Amino acid sequence: MKINGIEIDDTFAEAFGMAGTGVIITADTMKWARVAAVTMSGFGTSVIGAGAEVGIDRELSPSETPDGRPGVRVLLFGFSPDAAANQLKTRVGQCVLTSPGSACYAGVESEKRIGLGKGPRYFGDGFQTAKKLGDRRYWRIPVMDGEFVIEETTGVVTDAVGGGNILMLGNDRAGLLQTAEAAVDAIGNVPDVITPFPGGIVRSGSKVGSKYKGAIASTNDAFCPTLRGRVKSEVGPDTIAVLEIVIDGLTSKSVADAMRAGIKTVLEIGAAKGVTRITAGNYGGKLGQHHYKLRELLP
Amino acid sequence: MSGLTFRLTSAPVERLDLSTLTPKVLASTPLADVLKLNVGTTKSGVKLGDVFTVSGKPGDTIIIEGSTNKLDFVGTDLEHGSVIVEGDVGVGAGRNMRSGRLDIRGDAGALLGSGIGGGEIYVKGSAGSQVGGLTPGDKFGMTGGLIVIDGQAGDRAGDRMRRGTIFIRGKCGSFAGSRMVGGTIWTELGFGADPGMLLRRGTLIGPSVDQFLPTFVDAGRHDLVILPILSRYLREKLGPKAPKALPGIVRKYAGDLATVGKGEILITA
Repeated sequence: MKINGIEIDDTFAEAFGMAGTGVIITADTMKWARVAAVTMSGFGTSVIGAGAEVGIDRELSPSETPDGRPGVRVLLFGFSPDAAANQLKTRVGQCVLTSPGSACYAGVESEKRIGLGKGPRYFGDGFQTAKKLGDRRYWRIPVMDGEFVIEETTGVVTDAVGGGNILMLGNDRAGLLQTAEAAVDAIGNVPDVITPFPGGIVRSGSKVGSKYKGAIASTNDAFCPTLRGRVKSEVGPDTIAVLEIVIDGLTSKSVADAMRAGIKTVLEIGAAKGVTRITAGNYGGKLGQHHYKLRELLP
Repeated sequence: MSGLTFRLTSAPVERLDLSTLTPKVLASTPLADVLKLNVGTTKSGVKLGDVFTVSGKPGDTIIIEGSTNKLDFVGTDLEHGSVIVEGDVGVGAGRNMRSGRLDIRGDAGALLGSGIGGGEIYVKGSAGSQVGGLTPGDKFGMTGGLIVIDGQAGDRAGDRMRRGTIFIRGKCGSFAGSRMVGGTIWTELGFGADPGMLLRRGTLIGPSVDQFLPTFVDAGRHDLVILPILSRYLREKLGPKAPKALPGIVRKYAGDLATVGKGEILITA
């Protein structure tokens, strides 16, 4: 199928079940809420190598945050609730607690809870105090610029999805990147999803396994344009670059919505920027329980 | 809203104990048996049916009409539903409540909400001493929930309180937050003398204090992030009747240094 000069493969993205949680980070200004959120999201690209996939869902106006200050919602995905809890504790302790003027609250509501302030509160060295209002408990930890307020727990969902994806092939690397950026921006408007890689875009798609012992993943040679002719290549003769957008979401629907928004943007821009083809990454459908067929996600 | 309405037929000659009059009891007890409940506090053996007429159908709500300050322990052990009192109540209203709502459209006596662990109590008038306090044998006073008093509160509000929030639109009496272990007391018109005696943890908020204990220290002026959270909590609970949001900067007095000293009195003016 071809739309606006772009070929769309009849294939599907294969994604996996994950545990998803989130926090709301506030600060005196949006700038500093973003600083804390970006820092916490750093090195949160692939759960395999980084332990968790972390990213900014969206910015929140003061009326949307618990303390009436500007805020950012960060989502974190891990293999299990326990794994997510460990990553959360470390990242909040190192990146949010330390950020000037910050506070941190539950960003996901669900019956199942994991610790948020349970660990960082001990930084207070006995001077920390709790304040329970209704069914929410907040810890107040004295720090050098006042108090760091952090909620005791946040929600975690076990039916989150990691690894929704779109692959874009093109004959103009700069144009392909611009198109991918626009797609990431569009996905940014979809709630409950993140694109955890740098700028939301991956240039080093991977395959399972390697010729080297101990490496569980290696370069996706089938989509490396410079290997065309040497391997069983998936790229055509005019392709000089391939970029991927990986999407994690709190629900399967949110991942589908995000893929739909990204594809729509790419197709609207059309082939003028050098995008020639859209496809998706999968493992033959045998590994991931979530399959997103591209033809069902077209605008 | 469905429920039974109990109307007091004449002024009681003795104090009445209404601790058994809860939605849970009424749901599991035939009305004829309910009317035989002993609510007297002397040897006379006053039955509920002797002093109240009943109308309506059993449901989640109990309405008590014509109430006086001789009706004690209204809403005790309330776990769900609501109790609405048209008039005053005596001592111990809402004692050991766990959930639900107690609406008192008059004044309340001493020990309002003593031992309350959850739920909400609203008082249209004023309340006596030891709001959210404890009675002999209790380890703590209030351990959760919300008490809102439109008028004044008596002495020793929040005595040995551990969690929860007391909001008083009027003035709070002396020795507020005595022996308090946690929780929040917020008065819009200020505290009487010596608030926070032996305060271990917890927060007292108001525009003024008549007299500070010498064991509180001035910790300076601060903008505390927890305050807008507290304001928002009350806004969610009280809607348009919520108090004006707390100011950005408050003066903090830390204490009571005669004990743990992790408590605070925050002066808003």
